[in-house]
Amino acid sequence: MAETGVEIAEIAVSAAELKLGTEPVECAGVRLSRAEGKVRYSLRARDPAVLEGVLGRQVPKKIGDTDAGIACLGPDEWYVVLPDNFDLPRGEGLPVSVVDVSSRALGLVLEGPGALTVLSSGCPLDLAKLGVGRATRTVFETVEVVIWRQAEDRWHVEVWRSFATWLWNAFIAAMHAAK
Amino acid sequence: MSGFRLADGGRVDRRTKRNFSFDGKAQWGYAGDSLASALLAQGQMLFGRSFKYHRPRGILGAGVEEPNALVTVDRGPGRMTPNLRAPSVPIYDGLVATSQNRFPTLKTDLIAVNNMLSAFFPAGFYNKTFMWPRAAWEKVYEPIIRRLAGLGDSPTTRDPDHYDATYAHCETLVVGAGPAGIAAALEAAANGGRVILIDEQEEIGGGALADPAQWAWLAEASAKLSAMDNVTVLVRTTAIGHYHQNFVVAAERLSDHLSLADAEGPREKLWRIRAGEVVLAMGAIERPLVFEGNDVPGVMLASAARTFALRYGVAVGRKLVVMAVHDSGWRDALALHKVGVNIAAIVDLRREIAPELVEAARNAGIACYPGYAVTSVTGSLAVKGVTIALAGVGKGEKLECDAVLMAGGWTPTVHLWSHAKGTLRWDESLGAYVPDKTHENLRCVGACAGAWDFGSGLAGGLLPAPKPLHESKAFVDFQNDVKARDIGLAVQEGFRSIEHIKRYTTNGMATDQGKTSNLNGLQIASGVLHRPVTEIGLTTFRPPYTPQSFGAMLGHHKEALFQPLRKSVIDDWAADQGAVYENVAQWRRARYFPQGSEDMDAAVARECRTVRSSVGIFDASTLGKIEVVGPDAAEFLNRMYTNPWKSLEPGRCRYGLLLGEHGFIIDDGVSARLAPDRFHLTTTTGGAARVLNMMEDYLQTEWSDLDVWLTSTTEQWAVIAVQGPKAREVIAPLVEGIDLSGQAFPHRAVREGQIWGVETRLFRVSFTGELGFEVNVPAQHGRMVWEAIWAEGQKHGAAAYGTETMHVLRAEKGFIIVGQDTDGTVTPDDAGLGWAVGKKKPDFVGKRSLSRPDIVAAGRKQLVGLLTHDPQAVLEEGAQIVADPNQPVPMTMIGHVTSSYHSATLGRSIAMALVAGGRDRMGETLHIPMPGSTISAKVVMPMFYDAEGSRLNG
Amino acid sequence: MLLIHCPYCEEARPEVEFVYGGEAHIARPLDPSTYSDEQWEEFLYIRSNPRGRHHERWRHSHGCGRFFNAVRDTVTDVFETTYKAGEAKVKELGK
Ligand SMILES: [Zn+2]
Repeated sequence: MAETGVEIAEIAVSAAELKLGTEPVECAGVRLSRAEGKVRYSLRARDPAVLEGVLGRQVPKKIGDTDAGIACLGPDEWYVVLPDNFDLPRGEGLPVSVVDVSSRALGLVLEGPGALTVLSSGCPLDLAKLGVGRATRTVFETVEVVIWRQAEDRWHVEVWRSFATWLWNAFIAAMHAAK
Repeated sequence: MSGFRLADGGRVDRRTKRNFSFDGKAQWGYAGDSLASALLAQGQMLFGRSFKYHRPRGILGAGVEEPNALVTVDRGPGRMTPNLRAPSVPIYDGLVATSQNRFPTLKTDLIAVNNMLSAFFPAGFYNKTFMWPRAAWEKVYEPIIRRLAGLGDSPTTRDPDHYDATYAHCETLVVGAGPAGIAAALEAAANGGRVILIDEQEEIGGGALADPAQWAWLAEASAKLSAMDNVTVLVRTTAIGHYHQNFVVAAERLSDHLSLADAEGPREKLWRIRAGEVVLAMGAIERPLVFEGNDVPGVMLASAARTFALRYGVAVGRKLVVMAVHDSGWRDALALHKVGVNIAAIVDLRREIAPELVEAARNAGIACYPGYAVTSVTGSLAVKGVTIALAGVGKGEKLECDAVLMAGGWTPTVHLWSHAKGTLRWDESLGAYVPDKTHENLRCVGACAGAWDFGSGLAGGLLPAPKPLHESKAFVDFQNDVKARDIGLAVQEGFRSIEHIKRYTTNGMATDQGKTSNLNGLQIASGVLHRPVTEIGLTTFRPPYTPQSFGAMLGHHKEALFQPLRKSVIDDWAADQGAVYENVAQWRRARYFPQGSEDMDAAVARECRTVRSSVGIFDASTLGKIEVVGPDAAEFLNRMYTNPWKSLEPGRCRYGLLLGEHGFIIDDGVSARLAPDRFHLTTTTGGAARVLNMMEDYLQTEWSDLDVWLTSTTEQWAVIAVQGPKAREVIAPLVEGIDLSGQAFPHRAVREGQIWGVETRLFRVSFTGELGFEVNVPAQHGRMVWEAIWAEGQKHGAAAYGTETMHVLRAEKGFIIVGQDTDGTVTPDDAGLGWAVGKKKPDFVGKRSLSRPDIVAAGRKQLVGLLTHDPQAVLEEGAQIVADPNQPVPMTMIGHVTSSYHSATLGRSIAMALVAGGRDRMGETLHIPMPGSTISAKVVMPMFYDAEGSRLNG
Repeated sequence: MLLIHCPYCEEARPEVEFVYGGEAHIARPLDPSTYSDEQWEEFLYIRSNPRGRHHERWRHSHGCGRFFNAVRDTVTDVFETTYKAGEAKVKELGK
């Protein structure tokens, strides 16, 4: 009866106790792992040609396109994810912005035939229509991510560092639910 | 004891028995039974007590429209679900169900005395009776009403289940898997697009499940659908609501139909479906008839009796009378007769009835009463008989029976159509609203479009009766106990719109949203008002279609995953040190680091003393950071912030104050110029995203000609504040490539170099009033550098300090915290920050507002310091301030305390406050009335320690 | 949840990626100091709040990051069109 009052037990595992895994997790045909250590840059320019001049290389022009580690996220915005110790010139004085954000985000990788199901559990985009080699900024539930489809069944997800623990565990929850 | 299991027939598996309990009594049914069908088969007719009058109630319908038979299913601690509809609860071994709203038992309900007093519970009763006095409402009326008029009990423990959620996309979504829905799904699937077909029942088929002639077709269609790769069929899935642009939310019940031992994985799954086209095939719900005694257990919808017999193999009685105004009642009667259910009579208000129906009935030996109406029902806990009269007039004649079937016509299920803001059209011949126009790619098919094949009939559920309306006990809304006479009363009291009548009578406002009552209520109101139905209006359907668990709504966002908890890279270190945390925006931050048995006050006092006397180390990583890069960077900041930026030299920092265009402070922070075209901005922890959005707004939409770009670097940099007279000595051994001497690296300077082998942006800044540095290093190295500084600090007696100490130290210096000492109505001058406003700048965001009449008017609240007369009295933050404590209540409040602490350094309390005309009150005594006492305090400048700032240069 | 066509991404994207930005085509004066108190009040606080066609700003915050303008019917929530920031106000249907 309601008169006896409500007693709420402690949560078994609190948000503070969640851990960001280091070893890959496999479940329901999906493998979740941490991407290798990366170099990351945020690049901005009104005119991509100026940026190309600074970098000495091409950048993709259409939003969502990627080219050799550079994703075009907006009309004047590119996001670079590279594996090595890569130092880009800053283009001082030129109308460009080159900012090292290597520490800002972590990369999580979902692989396998069930990976799309796991991502779709919290991402509102129709990801089946995101072609291989395309990337986009979007959300997974309330967390901003950049999703990069690197192969038919391989999805690289960039997430700001402090949200990575939540995302890692949310992915695992979705993997278990998909069993 | 009336219902019984027919010798054969139905879709239940008669080889598999299921044992369950209802109200503590052992019961059984077959696999495939619903709780309702299994209990009816055992002769149970009484299923619940009504909401207001506690009248005995039985089963009315065979689906989600059921208003009476609400049950609680108990699956163990925290797994108790109230208000489930018995016809929609599949039975399983070990099911524990109980009836609701009865005390102490269904059969002897003491509160049924309400029923005898029902003359005192008319429409609007609650509104009229319990208005006064207020205390009585809280202490007497409400508890009693909650006891008497309940809809089950809330669970009282944590829900141990977990829930799944997903988004899904398809070209065609079909809601409802009856014959029309299945046909639509097959047709769409043939085009190759992705198709999702959902149905709330245990299996697809809808109305076909109660029509054995269609079972072969159904099996074939079902096999075809499951063989198609592009088709997803979801059963036990209720489309809760239709939202913009064909976004349909549905909840799939994954394990509630299984015994606890078999239930694995999530309990429910929330489907968030975006569809190119939505096809609604939700069918129609049969309408009850409104006559005296229509709520006696055993009076039910004809379609329900048909479903119980043909789908479940259960007869609802041994001798049935059908009260029809629609052909479908005759068809159902004949179908029932065919499977061996005894139909004694068909009573139909219509005088003219299709001859083939009458002939078929007569051939079946069924007595026919065209032009008659049921005028009363005998029996209280179960039907014993009915009285029927020609045209409802006169004494009439009695018929013996144990169940009455009502066939009042059909109501298309347009709920989701209405959610989508689709318009409805009144169809006089159907006596119902049918879908009309929509701006969505949405269409209705089958019965929910009004296109049914079960004949025609009268429109209007109120049967003629010898008693006048205001004496009748004919129910319209069974779940909310609304009678026809309540609607009459509402009209008599002046209500004209159905929206008002609905709220006054509560017709249609129960958990079933009036699935069986809305149209009858509308037509009765129409009749009493002598106005067409279309002039009375139509109430609005809103999601959810059926009551929905909170768990499914939450999906993954439960417990540990409820929302992200952001931690800095130094958080784990703090945890190892036993830090006590507080949440700031989504971050958790170390609030203080207790040692031994220290409480917060003791720990904070020690941390403060350590910073002031030697050195303290503080994790400031959560500060918002923005990298501003481009040739126009200085010009942009000059326009955004109140103070001048163009003159700031590379290598220098400046305190920046950010206003909204309304002139009020919205953020602040220290920012550095790293190069002519590169700035490192900081914002408050909570303001980071907001400030970036605001700056982007100006940049993109007002000053799009500027060549400057903004990049969030909040998470790029870990920030370690080293503050105190020994700060330089602590970092000196670790730093390379930066001359730390006072001359080479003055206060408010920034240098780039290395610390502990890691690149750093080293700020010489102070939020404590002490000599201080803020070490920015890439987050991935933050923990390592912190530990190196910590180890070095130990040589100097360093303490780690948390946000509480940070707050005290800054308050001692009178530094504001935006959002604590400001509240969105504070200008720079109000906060004593007039010095931070560039007087010579022609423009900046908010400048024009600073000369608005109300901003320059005298008497604005200004930030001041308060020193309590009793130095040990610590004021409550938020406490109101008055000038004269002896004035009569309500007192004139002239301000409030914004920050208040005990200062260990000063050995007394300090406080800051916003006070009207505060700076003109220096030296005045003001009063802070608190429960039981009034605290007096002197107004001082908000600067309590080292006013000359000599300690900065240590 | 609305679907909003981003004129930069040239795609319809889910509402949760966007942030609403209030009424559109209210330009900040080049020199606010020339505005009277009444004009400034108008600029700061007075909005059209129509029942029907509304010119409004959205930002594709969790996408391409761009602010853009839209015409949305405040009764039906149907978007008539969206267009890039800086483009001329869409006055009538189809113009
Ligand atoms: Zn976009």
